[in-house]
Amino acid sequence: MADRPSVPVTEMTFEQALKELESIVQELEAGKVDLEKSIERYERGEALKSHCERLLKEAEGRVERIRLNAGGKPTGTEPLDGDDAPF
Amino acid sequence: MTTLLVADALFLEHLTPTGHPERPDRIRTVNRVLSQPDFAALARARPRGVDDAVLETAHDPAYVAAIRAAVPEDGIAQLDADTWLSPRSFDVAGHAVGAGLVAVDAVFGGEATNAFCAVRPPGHHAEADRAMGFCLFANAVIAARYAQAAEGAERVAIVDWDVHHGNGTQAIVWNDPTILYASTHQMPLYPGTGAAGETGVGNIVNAPLDPGDGGVEFMDAFERRILPAVDAFRPDLIVISAGFDAHWRDPLGGLNLNEEDFAWATRRLMEIADRHAGGRVVSLLEGGYDLRGLGDSVAAHVAALMSASPTA
Repeated sequence: MADRPSVPVTEMTFEQALKELESIVQELEAGKVDLEKSIERYERGEALKSHCERLLKEAEGRVERIRLNAGGKPTGTEPLDGDDAPF
Repeated sequence: MTTLLVADALFLEHLTPTGHPERPDRIRTVNRVLSQPDFAALARARPRGVDDAVLETAHDPAYVAAIRAAVPEDGIAQLDADTWLSPRSFDVAGHAVGAGLVAVDAVFGGEATNAFCAVRPPGHHAEADRAMGFCLFANAVIAARYAQAAEGAERVAIVDWDVHHGNGTQAIVWNDPTILYASTHQMPLYPGTGAAGETGVGNIVNAPLDPGDGGVEFMDAFERRILPAVDAFRPDLIVISAGFDAHWRDPLGGLNLNEEDFAWATRRLMEIADRHAGGRVVSLLEGGYDLRGLGDSVAAHVAALMSASPTA
């Protein structure tokens, strides 16, 4: 089994998390994981999957705002994360 | 009706490294639970040892010889990432097989209607030529084939509700239409086999469950997949690979069964055994690594075996 990366799941980029998730799915499907460690690998995969889903949802929210702006007020000057601006 | 318990302190003598989940305390727990007053009515027997010829009904002779040769004189020896041998392991694993034979003789000889064998090491991951997943010998397959050879059983159904798929049992009976193998298990999980499309020669029924599934999904899989297949097979004996690691407390599984789910499944299989097999059920302990979950589940399972089934 490959060594675990030291980066916490919540700090991974989408690409990092997806890559590790894919490798875990392959390991589990190929039966390459020890019995004792199998459930740990599955749970790591679940955490990665949740993180990926969260990142995707955040990205979807941003895309949504762009589309609405384009269809509604085509100003193009409003910051993408204007709602979150600290002022 | 009588329920037989086959148990022995010998099963404490197969040693694994400190911290290993498949540990002697599992048997201490089961033996303690089954010594409570609720289980005073159990008939009790001890296992017997077996010849290599018995082991070779499921394993290659070279494999049996290799396991014997791999046993260390002291300390423990590692066979794979999960599987270990200690000085008495060959003898202990042989008696785990022999426990099933004692149970088969009892249910065909009329001394008992059904039986539970409190054994370790477990068996359902062991293949014809390979030890894996804590398992050395294919306890369930050897019991089934012994029932055929010694007791005249034509068809034997092996039902496996351990949270892990019994890849060893499946591989050994893959081409054997006289043995049905029907399993519920979590997927994905070790060992990676057990997809619904793996059907052997029509004698294998896999009903994989999703991580997080509980009693509702387990009972649905039993009602729709497992029980109809076992009933249609008209077995002369039902062997249960009784792993209790699908219990919600278990550290190695991600299913959420409770002890009453195991009791329910036991009773449903007893109903089928009553219809076709004179009630004969032989249950063999497989996994189950949370001691409280294991103890509670064994208690519920054995209490169900001891109860008169609804159709009796």
